[in-house]
Amino acid sequence: VKIAVFVKHVPGQAITPRIAACGDRIDEHGLAFEANEADLYAIEEALQQRTTLGGDVTAVTIGPARAREALHVAYAKGADHAIHVVDEKFRGCDPLLNVQAAALVARRIACDMIFAGIQAEDDMLGQFGVALGEALDLPVVTAVTGIRVDAQRRTAEVVRELGEGFRHELEVDLPCVLTIQFGIRPLRYMPVMSVVRARLRPIEALAIEALGLMPDAPGARGMRVLELRQPPASGRCELLGGSPREMAGKLVRTLEETGII
Amino acid sequence: MACTEVVVVCEPARSQAEAANARLIAAGSEFAARAGAKLVCLIAGEGVAAQAATFAHYADEVLVADSPLLAHFDPYRLLGIIERVVGERKPLAVLFSHTHAGIDLAPRLAARLRVAVASNCLDATFEGDTACFTRLVYRGRLHAKVAIDSRPIIATLQPGSAPLPSRSTPGVVTTVAIPPGKPARARPLRTIEPERTGVDIAKSDVVVAGGRGIGSKENFSVVSELAAALGGVAACSRPLVDMGWFGVERQVGLSGNTVKPKLYVACGISGAIEHLHGMRESRTIVAINKDPDAPIFRVAHFGLVGDLNEIVPEVTREVAARRAAPASPQT
Repeated sequence: VKIAVFVKHVPGQAITPRIAACGDRIDEHGLAFEANEADLYAIEEALQQRTTLGGDVTAVTIGPARAREALHVAYAKGADHAIHVVDEKFRGCDPLLNVQAAALVARRIACDMIFAGIQAEDDMLGQFGVALGEALDLPVVTAVTGIRVDAQRRTAEVVRELGEGFRHELEVDLPCVLTIQFGIRPLRYMPVMSVVRARLRPIEALAIEALGLMPDAPGARGMRVLELRQPPASGRCELLGGSPREMAGKLVRTLEETGII
Repeated sequence: MACTEVVVVCEPARSQAEAANARLIAAGSEFAARAGAKLVCLIAGEGVAAQAATFAHYADEVLVADSPLLAHFDPYRLLGIIERVVGERKPLAVLFSHTHAGIDLAPRLAARLRVAVASNCLDATFEGDTACFTRLVYRGRLHAKVAIDSRPIIATLQPGSAPLPSRSTPGVVTTVAIPPGKPARARPLRTIEPERTGVDIAKSDVVVAGGRGIGSKENFSVVSELAAALGGVAACSRPLVDMGWFGVERQVGLSGNTVKPKLYVACGISGAIEHLHGMRESRTIVAINKDPDAPIFRVAHFGLVGDLNEIVPEVTREVAARRAAPASPQT
């Protein structure tokens, strides 16, 4: 099978990005980026499917120059090919343009399955995989936690999450788009050196301007970011200071005095 | 404004869906009032008639599709129903809960209609004629205020508790037909219920949960020991389940369990929104995390900033010491 996996390069886990002076975006300067975690699960799953079924895996990212790093990670994990749609203007942050570019790349690869993480941790929109499926007129299953492909029948039995521990099994025709849920299989640890070595692997670069997309279709760009804000403090959190022992003492005393324990 | 209806897409009852529906109806009702629009509730599933009757107390109209065909979550069939409603009634907005169903359906509808979708919203309002939403972005570390210019407005709203605006006269309940539709290329096979393991963390008065910040599986003992000292249960956030350390029966959050204990202690949990939904109603919340910016501190009552591997054992010791000598004076 041929699988395409879309990977986004997003600000790192444990950092709160600074808001840029213009107020409607973050300040990327000095900010650490990484491959979107849900997309890493998508890569792991694609590679596992390749191991079982044969075929190849192409990792694709859309973003500025730095986004290549996400493809190095994909290569280090075992991807066969990598395509970088270079977008310096919107920096991979225009949802509509991303879907259009992705649809074009996916058509060219003519893949049997397209994987993407369930959600990107930067814009938290969760629409990419679904919109891509619609753009390609392919069936989409979201929040997938298990995939069993029947290559002969050109179908897959997939399990998806429904919340509260409930899951749902369905049969989907190939080709299809699957948005991959966290934890579909364990993420393998990637030694830094393997990522460094992967930097030598060839990446096909496509300038997004050269793809002939029509990002200004009427009504398409319906959402405007007016401003980014720090979330308001709840005003109820009492921070207990001191050494670990002092903090522990204060906490337990307070919990006891208020009858909580 | 030409459009006069706000449609809220409710979900068949399970415990989380009930809270999500309540919040969705409350937010939709306020949004509709601001726009001078009617509130229309749509509910589709098997055996949802009673639920539909309840919704009538809060909405101008309830649209109900009740059929064994909807026994399993079938996005294409549901989408067919929603698309037909949108086609016939041309609503101003279609609002969903940010649940597994909403996360699936809202972007599908938006893609079909070629309009924008504002997902992960905390609120929905109008400023003048502009529909504005506050969205979670960057793992919930920042909020984005966005305007939606396309119509119908499509958004998903984060679940949460909300008082429901009751009406003096119940709204009309209308049955909607399920469009035939072409044979789907994704066909439901079965719904898989959670495994019964005998563990029910929702029953405990004290829940001590560990998250990604625990670092290694061996370290989880600091969490279990505190749970034992407090006479509670140990639980975890999603990453520990994803890493295969625990089953979903220990997981707190949208995908796992919702808990409302007297005391919830979050150790090394940053507080992703999906986790917060599973524990924010706890009576007292203690957060222990090395990152003072972690969203968990925004729902916590008491915050301890530092290395959980140093702090949690101290808390356990302190609890044990006080339990051993309950009448001892303060040290």
